[in-house]
Amino acid sequence: MTHVLDDYALNSPLREKNNWLKLAITIFGILVGVSSNSPVPPFVIALCMGIATVHFSKVPVIFYLKILAAPAGFVLVSSVIIAFLSGSGTELFGFDILGHRLGVDTAGLNLAILVLARTISGMSCMFFLSLTTPMIELFSVLKAAKLPDSFVEIAMMMYRYIFVFLDVAMDIKYAQTVRLGYRDFKTSFRSMVMLGANLFIRSWEQGEKLYLSMNSRCYDGKLIMYDEKRPVKMPDILLTGIYFVIVLSVFSLTRDMSFI
Amino acid sequence: MHIFEGFLPSPWWQLWFVFSIPVILYGMYKLNKLVSEKREVVPLIAVAGAFIFVLSSLKLPSVTGSCSHPTGTGMAAVLFGPSITAVLGVIVLIYQALFLAHGGISTLGANVASMGIIGPFVAYAFYKAAAKTNMNFYLNIFLATAIADWITYVTTSVQLSLAFPTGGSLTVTGFLSSFIAFATVFATTQVPLAIMEGALTALIMKYVVQVKSDVLVNLDVLTSDAVEKLKGAMS
Repeated sequence: MTHVLDDYALNSPLREKNNWLKLAITIFGILVGVSSNSPVPPFVIALCMGIATVHFSKVPVIFYLKILAAPAGFVLVSSVIIAFLSGSGTELFGFDILGHRLGVDTAGLNLAILVLARTISGMSCMFFLSLTTPMIELFSVLKAAKLPDSFVEIAMMMYRYIFVFLDVAMDIKYAQTVRLGYRDFKTSFRSMVMLGANLFIRSWEQGEKLYLSMNSRCYDGKLIMYDEKRPVKMPDILLTGIYFVIVLSVFSLTRDMSFI
Repeated sequence: MHIFEGFLPSPWWQLWFVFSIPVILYGMYKLNKLVSEKREVVPLIAVAGAFIFVLSSLKLPSVTGSCSHPTGTGMAAVLFGPSITAVLGVIVLIYQALFLAHGGISTLGANVASMGIIGPFVAYAFYKAAAKTNMNFYLNIFLATAIADWITYVTTSVQLSLAFPTGGSLTVTGFLSSFIAFATVFATTQVPLAIMEGALTALIMKYVVQVKSDVLVNLDVLTSDAVEKLKGAMS
């Protein structure tokens, strides 16, 4: 896990756009997707967000598809359970296990497809945000949302130290691997324990050093950061407006339409 | 287990937010109080949160060949108490959603409820109760974190089966039969992983007692007498 999504966000051309606009697009997509009763609007949202991310933000297509497949395991298993368990209507296919009838019927299949569509659209909205907006930009949004200072501050310091510790963890893991530390189950467990314990002790010492160094630079419980002003430009509003209108009209047109 | 974005329909994702937000607010209040008393804890808590994030992004070696990740929240609950763990859990879950594509925004409430609130709370309650009965410290940590991990998955199964009960509408029998299905898939497969995480955390704690036991005393996890006893038992 060397690439975090944030790395792409830092180089994204859309980074220069207004944060609130991007946040609005994301939240809008998520809300419409999750409240839609037909699988069509989520697919439209996923398509638009996918194009926006790949085309405007210049994310490699292969990488994008790969991260979109990340939830696949969980989602497919759960969708299969939903398809078998819920709903009523005409049975499409089924079989007997130990005297119990297991069957998929129309309502269950519809629900499973709907959940699948919602998940894909939600994930694509989230990727749009995380691949175009680095976390640093979102801190000013958190501050403007009037979250407590201590919360935002801890979030900021955590953000910084996640990358420090990820590097440390990767280095230790590499060193352990070349010494055959992950040869079989027993050794990998031992290596894992050593890695975790060292990481904990190291992070603790790092935390104490951080407090000292911040204190000696007059830390008084407030980290002040530069919030760059990025006015919303006309073409952006226009494009966002068109997207909103398309999604909302698809949403109202396909209100009660189902797949089968 | 992270429930992915868009998976929970209305009104369930809203309801889980309603459940989680008061607890988070209480956690923030506790955090603010702690910070105003002892300012030096801010970097320590932040660094501990980062540690949880990194720990939870490491793959556990697993017997069955599938890989899974430790949750790390059981350990945080024992170290910091459940209310601060809830706040740390929110931040970790937001970062996991945005950086690693685990979890989601609309399902954040449900994920915080299972991984940041219910699991850690159970771990903490178990740890405190067992500490009173003079249970061996490492055994206690092992059981507390294993139970926290497992309860997290049971909660996820409950959340999923409440949202998708058998028969389409929420009845007691529909909920139960759907819960059995989700729990068989998610909770039983998690038992070996929960044991792994418990063992991992207990052994990490063993190293910490050996090398940096003053941390545990400062956090009121152990008294200095207990640390002396543990160290004495080892040498």
